[in-house]
This record gives sequence, structure tokens and C-alpha cells, in this order.
Amino acid sequence: MPGFIDRMLTLDRRWIFLFVLVSVATPIIYPIGLPVTTTGSTRAAFEYIEALKPGDVVWISFDYGPSSAPENDPMAEAIMRQCFTKKVRVLVSVFYPLGGLGLANSAVAKVTAEFPDLKYGEDYVNLGYKDGAAAVMHRLGDDISGPFPTDVNGRPIGEIPMMRGIHDIRQVKLVFTAATGIIGEWWITQVHSQFGTPIIIGPTAVSAPKYYAYLNAGQLLGMLGGMKGAAEYEKLLAGAHPELAKFYKTTRAFTATKGMDGQTVIHTVILAFIVLGNYAFFRARAAKKRGAA
Amino acid sequence: MELGVVGTWIAALLTLACLSFLYKDNPFFRFAESLFAGVSLGYYVGITLNQTLMPNLWEPMRQNFGQNWDLLVPGLLGVILYMRYLPKFGWVSRYALAIYVTYYIGVDFTRRLHGEVLPQLGRAILPLSHFDSRTLVSAIFMLGVGSVLIYFFFSREQGPVTKRIARAGIWFLMISFGAAFGFTVMGRVALLIGRLNFLILQWIYPMLGIS
Repeated sequence: MPGFIDRMLTLDRRWIFLFVLVSVATPIIYPIGLPVTTTGSTRAAFEYIEALKPGDVVWISFDYGPSSAPENDPMAEAIMRQCFTKKVRVLVSVFYPLGGLGLANSAVAKVTAEFPDLKYGEDYVNLGYKDGAAAVMHRLGDDISGPFPTDVNGRPIGEIPMMRGIHDIRQVKLVFTAATGIIGEWWITQVHSQFGTPIIIGPTAVSAPKYYAYLNAGQLLGMLGGMKGAAEYEKLLAGAHPELAKFYKTTRAFTATKGMDGQTVIHTVILAFIVLGNYAFFRARAAKKRGAA
Repeated sequence: MELGVVGTWIAALLTLACLSFLYKDNPFFRFAESLFAGVSLGYYVGITLNQTLMPNLWEPMRQNFGQNWDLLVPGLLGVILYMRYLPKFGWVSRYALAIYVTYYIGVDFTRRLHGEVLPQLGRAILPLSHFDSRTLVSAIFMLGVGSVLIYFFFSREQGPVTKRIARAGIWFLMISFGAAFGFTVMGRVALLIGRLNFLILQWIYPMLGIS
């Protein structure tokens, strides 16, 4: 055993990579179904949308790219499913340039196909991508058609039935931004602070710590932090709307709930490596001190 | 072979090329890296042209120039930015850049002050007349902010008292770095889960005929 512990200090890091790979791949092949517990910030987000009335408008912004899609895709899809189940109308926008629009189009196509009664232009509108997010958000308080004169397909928004009653961002009941980087901050500081529109954010796990300051200051209604937050939301959604549970039980589709199996396994492995590495380090240091004495 | 299957194969092979860097640097990784950079840039140019420049600049001017002639100003400012590539007229681009920077300073000033500083200060500083768990948490936050600020104050040499406060600041910093590290690990693992999910369920399983 001491020999094994000592070898940990000189272990080729590629063995750790391989260990991580196997630890993550195993739960994908053999799902475990570990339980997910919900947190207050996710419940607050869920309950706010649950309380919306049919016909209300929610703005869902896809402010992320393929580099964080495994975290942000499930949360954006879950929020869209909840809105459409509640007959809440949805406006979609994209402010992340690299791949955000492709992800938004795929997610909208995927989720709207699950609700065959939905009509484009009446129940949801895809406004597409706009460059210069901060400046665009600044204009949303005056007139949405200023920065978004057309929808994603080039159709003037004045001709879209759903947009006739929506002039500016104040008429939107909620903005949900699935965000990576700084774009989520802009929604809070440009739109919520200046126009009062409530914001729920679904940041990547890397960005989540900074958003706690906004959450604690009451500037956010709720937050879905990374894959864990998305898994919590899926659990709440499947619990409140059993008709949606089927989307989270298929074996082939990727969901955050399934991803959390891998997260739990790999975090256990990482913790074990940290304990072993520290034990080996302090053991070697103690031995060195004894040798010097 | 269907187009979707070809796309899956290309994505899978490029994913493997990227992951191969974990073993060691190699030409497959470098090819995938360069391809990614090139495709990203091309995509950015295309999407900005189709989704922003055409509907917000070109089309309004083409359809009704009399009403939208003022769009010429931002359009020209954008063109002027590229003058830096002409050595003789490079100085002109500074004017566009100056206007661009000034605009964002104006927007950002309001954003920072009314969107961050004032609301977060308002919630962080609570009256001590009513003491409960929120006041305690707020007091700890204030101690943290104060001690970290003292740690980063380099204009005067630290005395015995400020040294101890700065030491407390290091602890607050370490706790926040630890939380950020934990979230970062979760985020990076999530990306690996996403990629492996794709490789196993969308590439390997169909290849082996597993439904």
C-alpha cells in the first residue's frame, strides 16, 4: 500500500484522464438514476413560470454556443416545454454569435414538434440573432421592432400576429436567458434594472458563482446553475406535469438528469484523487523531514 | 449514406481529434483546432451579415432611403474602422473607435451603477437595529469585502493590524476561489458528458446497431 501511495505523486496524468473517461462513460452506457434534490433558486424560477397565465409572453434568449450546450440546452428546452404546456407565448432571441442561432433553431424545432397545436407567429416567434447585445437590450425598452425589424426568416415583425400586442420589453412577463459569459449580466443590468422586467438566468456552472450576488440582491427571480440546475428543473417539470415526464425517460435522448449520474460518479472520483494526492504529498513531506532530522 | 450520418461521422472524428491532445500534441488535433477557428470566423461573418447588417442596415435603406438615411452614419463608422489597414489613412479609424468606445462607456456607466453597485450595496448593508440571520450573513459579507479590499491595498505598507485583516481577506478569497473551482469542475465535466453522450449514443450505438 505505501508503494502505491508513493506512486501517486509520480503518476502519469494520462492515467487520470483515462480514469475520468471511463468514470463518465460508464453511467452513459449503464444509467444509474441517482436522485436529484432541488434548490430554492430553481424552485423560485419554476414557481414563477407556473403562476403565469395563458397568453402571457416569456422571452427566451439563447445566449450560449455549442461549447456549453450540454449545460444550457436542457434548461432552455425545459423552460420552453413548461411555457407551451401552460399556453404561455414565447419569444426567442439569440445574442451569442458562435453557433447560438443553430442551437436555438434546433431547440425550437425539437420542442415545438412535441406540441403539434402550436402555430408559429401566434404562439411563438423566433427573432433570430443580433450583434451588439448590450446596445440591443438598451433599445428593447423603447421598441422591440427597432433592433428586431424582422424575425429570423426575414419576415417583418409588424406582419406577425403575436407581435402586434408587444411593443417593448416591459410587456414581457419574464426573460429567461440561458447564458454563457457576460450576456446574462447584461440582461440583469440593462433590462431588469432599467425596465423592471423580471429575469431568470440559466448560466453555465463556471459563471454561476458570480450570479449569486445578483440573486442575493433580488435582481434575479431564480437561477438554474449549470447542469445541476437543469436537472433540478427537469425533476420539477416532470413532477408537476406528468405528460412531460416521457421526455426525460427515453434512453437515447440527452437530459441533464442523466448527465448528473456522470457528474456524481466523476466528482466522487475527483474527491478520491484529491484525498489520495494530499495524503501522498503530506506523507512524502513528513518522510523528508524525518530524513533531514 | 444519409447526410445526417455523414455529419455525425465528421463530428465524431473531429471530437476524437480534439480529445487526442490529452495523449499528446499531434497533427489531427492541430487540424481540428485550425478548422474550428476558421469555421467559427466564417460563421461569425455570415451570421452578422445575414441577421444584423442586412435586416438592420441594408434593407431599411434599400426600401426607404428617405426615412432611413441616418443609418448611413453607423454604416460609415463601421467602414471607417477598416481604414486602419490603409497605412496612409489609418488615423481615420480612430474617430470611429472613439465614438464606439464613448458609446459603450456611457451605456456601461449606467449599467454598472444602477445595475450592480447601488442595488447590491442596498441589499448588502442592512440596519443593525433588527438583528437576524440575514443581518449576520450580511455582516460576514461586509467583513469579507473589507478585508479583501485591505489585502489589495498596496499604496501603504501594512501594519500589524492591517496585516491580520489582510490575512482574513486571503481566507475569504480562498473560499470564493474554492467555490468557483468546484463549479468550474462541474462545468467542464458537463462538457465531457455531452461529448461522450454524443459519441456513445449517436455514433457508436447506431454503428453497432444498438437501438
